[in-house]
Formats: sequence, C-alpha cells, structure tokens
Amino acid sequence: MGNVNVNIDGKKLRVREGVTILEAAEANGIKIPTLCHIKDQVPTGICRVCVVELERSRTLVGSCHTPVSEGMVIHTHSPKVTAVRRVIVELMLTAHTGDCVNDTNAENCVLHNLASDYEVGAPRFNVKVPRFYPAEDSNPYVRRNLSKCILCRKCVRVCASIPGKNILSVGYRGFRSKIVAGFDEALLSEKCRDCGKCIEHCPTGALSAPVKV
Amino acid sequence: MPEKRIVLGNCGATDPNDIETYLGKGGFKGFIKARDRLKPGDIVDQVKKSGLSGRGGAGFPCGLKWELARNAKAKMKYLICNADEGEVGTFKDRYILSHDPFGLIEGICIAGLAIGARQAYIYLRAEYHFLNDPLCRAIAQVKEKGFLKHLDIQVFEGAGSYVCGEESALMDSIEGKRGEARYRPPYPQARGLWGQPTIINNVETLMNIPHIIANGAAWFSAMGTAKSKGTKVFSVSGDVSKPGVYELEMGSSLKELVMDLAGAVDIKAVQVGGRHGNIIPGHMIDIVLSYETCLGPGAVVVFNSKRDIIDIVHNNMHFLNDESCGKCTPCREGTEVMLEILGRLRGVEGAAGDIDALEDLAQTMALASLCGLGQEAAVPVLDSLKYFRAEYVNRIEQSLFLRSYLGEELSKSKEGER
Repeated sequence: MGNVNVNIDGKKLRVREGVTILEAAEANGIKIPTLCHIKDQVPTGICRVCVVELERSRTLVGSCHTPVSEGMVIHTHSPKVTAVRRVIVELMLTAHTGDCVNDTNAENCVLHNLASDYEVGAPRFNVKVPRFYPAEDSNPYVRRNLSKCILCRKCVRVCASIPGKNILSVGYRGFRSKIVAGFDEALLSEKCRDCGKCIEHCPTGALSAPVKV
Repeated sequence: MPEKRIVLGNCGATDPNDIETYLGKGGFKGFIKARDRLKPGDIVDQVKKSGLSGRGGAGFPCGLKWELARNAKAKMKYLICNADEGEVGTFKDRYILSHDPFGLIEGICIAGLAIGARQAYIYLRAEYHFLNDPLCRAIAQVKEKGFLKHLDIQVFEGAGSYVCGEESALMDSIEGKRGEARYRPPYPQARGLWGQPTIINNVETLMNIPHIIANGAAWFSAMGTAKSKGTKVFSVSGDVSKPGVYELEMGSSLKELVMDLAGAVDIKAVQVGGRHGNIIPGHMIDIVLSYETCLGPGAVVVFNSKRDIIDIVHNNMHFLNDESCGKCTPCREGTEVMLEILGRLRGVEGAAGDIDALEDLAQTMALASLCGLGQEAAVPVLDSLKYFRAEYVNRIEQSLFLRSYLGEELSKSKEGER
C-alpha cells in the first residue's frame, strides 16, 4: 500500500494508506480522546468520543474506525467536535451512578479525567431511572460495580480475545443494555480466573481487583 | 395527478399462489430480456440511467450501488431483499408481498444476474411470519419454471427488532449475531454479509426493476422530478377516512395524497417517513413529495387538530428509545434523556432549559450516532420545535406557573397549620 496526503488540524501529513484517522493523528502527536478503543484490536466505534470533523462529510466520523484516504481534511478539536464530545461525556455521566466523589481511584478513571478536560461538570440532563446495580463480589479475582459501567465493551472484547474464555457479553437492549456473564448470572470463579485483563482495560471503576481484607 | 400503479400494477390482478396468472400478465418478460439479450453490465447501465433510487428511505442511487458491487472482486456475492418493514406506519411491503410475490422474485432474479450474486436472502420481518410459506411456495414455482438456475433464494425470518431493518444490523442478524449497526466504511457493497460484497435493496426497489428492464430506462426516467424518478408507494394512516396503500408519481403533492386520495379533512400535522420522519404542519400541505424534500420509506401519518404535538413526539421517542440497539452512546443515552424531557413536558412538569437541552441533544445525536436510527431520531423533535415551538414554550410556562402556584398553595396551607 502506498501513502496518502491528509491534513489534520492544519498539519499536512503523509501517512500510510489504510491506517485509521486515530492512528495517523497519534503517530503525529495529535491526541484524540477515546474510551472504547483497544490498540491492535478491531475497532468498534461504540463510545463516539473520538469523533472528528471531516470536511465534506454530513456527520462527524469516528476516528478510531475511519481509514484515511487521499485529500482528507480533518479537524480533531473544532468547536463543533468539542461541543459534541462534551454532550457525549455529559450523557455518559447522566445515567452513571456511583461513589466517584469519595472514590480514591477516581484519578484513574478515564471518563472522570475526560470530563474535567472538557469542563463538563455536573450533567444538566436526567434519566427516569439511572443505572444502578449492586456491586458483585461473587468472584475473588474481579469486583464488578456495573453502576459505573459506560458500556464501552472493552471487557467483552478482551475477554473474547483470550482463547477458551469469551465469558462476557452484552445482554438486553438499548438503554437497558448490561454487560452480562452467561445468561446474566453471577460471575463465578469456575469460569473467570485471575487474568485481570478486563480490569486493566476498564476505563472507569466498574471493574476492579477486590480489596484483600 | 391520479394514482399511477406501476409497482402495484399486478397486485389484485394476479393470483399470488399461481405463477401462470403472473406469466399471463407479461411476467418474467423483463427477466427473459435481461437473461437472453443483455449483458450484466448493460442491466446495471439501464438501472443507472433510469435514475432509480433506493425506496427504503435513504434514497441511495440503486444503479451506483449495483455497479460498486458488480466491480468488487470476490468469489461470493450476496443479494439481500430487505423486507423487514419495521418502520411504524408502513405497510406497503406487506401489501406487495402478499399480493405480488412473483414481481419481487423477478426483481431479485434480475438483480442477481446484474451483480453476479449466487445467493439471495429475503429478510422477512418476524411479524410477517404468515408470509413465509406463500413466499417459499412462490419461489418453488419460479424454480420449476427454470428462472432460478443462477441464484438460490432463501427466506430468512428476523426476530422482531426494529434496528435490524438498518442494513448493517440486518447483516449481523443473518450472520447470527446480535443485531447492531456497524460503522461505515467499509460499505456493504465492498464488505457486507460474511465480509463479501453485498447488495441490500428494499422490496419496492426490486419491484421496479422488471418494469425498467422491460420498458427501458428512458420510460422510467420520464416520470418524477429532477432527482427522484418513477413512482412511490405510500402507506397512509392516521386521521384519514380512507387509509391504505397508494402509489403516486414522484413529485406529487402531499395534499393530493392525504386530502384527495385518503380523504383527510382536518390536518394539524403530517408525519412523513415513519418514526424519525419529518413533521409537516398543516399549512405546508402543498409540499412536493420527493427525495429532495421529505419522503423516507413512504409512511404518511396524519394527525388532526385534537392531537397534542408533544404527545406525538413523546410517543415517537418512546418507540425509538425502546428500539435503540444500545451500541453507541449518543443514541443509547440520548434517546433516554430525550424521553425523560418529553415525558416531563407531556405531564406539564417542564423546566426552563428543556428546549435548549433538546436542541443540544438533537445536534449531538445527529452528528455522532453510528447509524440512521440515532442520527435521525431527533428529526421529529427538531421539526416540532421549528413549527410548533409555541406549544413547547406554552407548556413550559404552564409548568412553571403551576409549580409556583402549587408552591404558594403549599406554603399557605403550611402557614395555616402553624
């Protein structure tokens, strides 16, 4: 494959054909926030935080899954993009319940940092019933607090990439979607061992290592 | 303009259980012409020249789609007929499938020849289960006549999801996955079902094909407006005296359809294009129906002056929220938040920032959602805000007044207690 010319944020770049906008931007020191992207895995385009403005495109495009092509003019931080990103983060925070205020690990939460980067603050929206699930302690290796889950499905994908695992999947539909194990059962230690991959990838505090007492 | 029945021409005139009646009406002439006298490239050219665009709602040029799939190099190519008529207020495909299945099969046969597909699926809506047997019988009859040597047609029944009418979710559904939209590119014409080039056409689009091949592209492109050619089948329902399926030439006015044909008298608003269609207020009833203005899949729902616009929009959002697949954030969370706002407005519990919040959300959903469901979910909200803003403002003022009034009453009663 050859190279193509693209223009990202006014920088004229020459990048390899077939790479995504995100990869091209990152290779050239332009940072685009993402929540659901896993490096070297097939992109899914779920979180939509990485959207960028592509000239002559009707909508914003997800940078993690759109390959570059000749002559693309891309704006990663235009006012339109920033406004949309802010609303998306705000939406994620809206239905999100949890103890972020007194969570000692809050600085590790990608969503938390993104919200402060984009100066989102307290969301102005409401939902009828916020997502609330009791934290699950049934597994000695992973503690699941799905109230903090933003449904980026990273855990589902990394789990599926481990041979013989593929324990997690998405259950239910729409707003009521939930990351489930089996038919929404407790995550038992027979199935899930201590690889900790999902904890590593979780952008929020939804999955964590249980505190040893 | 009176009704012009081309797609629906054979509906009622032939027996859907007997291929002889269809052949007697000149059926499969288009296919025989395409098979014996035209090269696949010529078929695609004819469709391209005719200016036929996708009748499922998006209006993508059909010929261009076919050309892309035809030029794609792959061992296997697929053809899918989208009969997942999930859009609320449409029933044209059901009418076509139950009255003229042979017309559709002929269209599929020609499309298969044109793009070189060897496997075709008819993705049938779960609710149309009763059409499965008649369709299979019709396919068997066509096979017996020897028209299906190049193609295998299989009827695939959906599982009742609205989003599976969206082409990429539909392919996921056939592949046995959870029906969710995929990102594009790659487009289905390049990499679709099982990663192979795939064409997905609506029932009505394919119904047009035999007529185009038999009568020529020039005949077809003579009908309609500059950008929208041919005829369109509309499903009219709501506050009309004669609801039903009507076929009109592109470029007819909405007034003709809902007032002259369907017999609507009192019109407050008309929603054209299903649950995420445009809301046309009564005073704009002269609007022309074409892809340039508003059309969608041809669902036309009429609301009379007794209907409350916020009620209508809330009902819309309730449906879209329920049917959102839950994959991308703007649609999953956005529809839920919009539902909350509209629900409050409906119950006279609005707040001052509600209109701004709706507009912000609408912009985000339209720009950032993954598929058409999220991108267009806010269209009715924006349209109603554009044409019926006074009702929203009124409702919010009522809410504020009610709250302050009730608050005063409450404090008075408390004083009384003291």
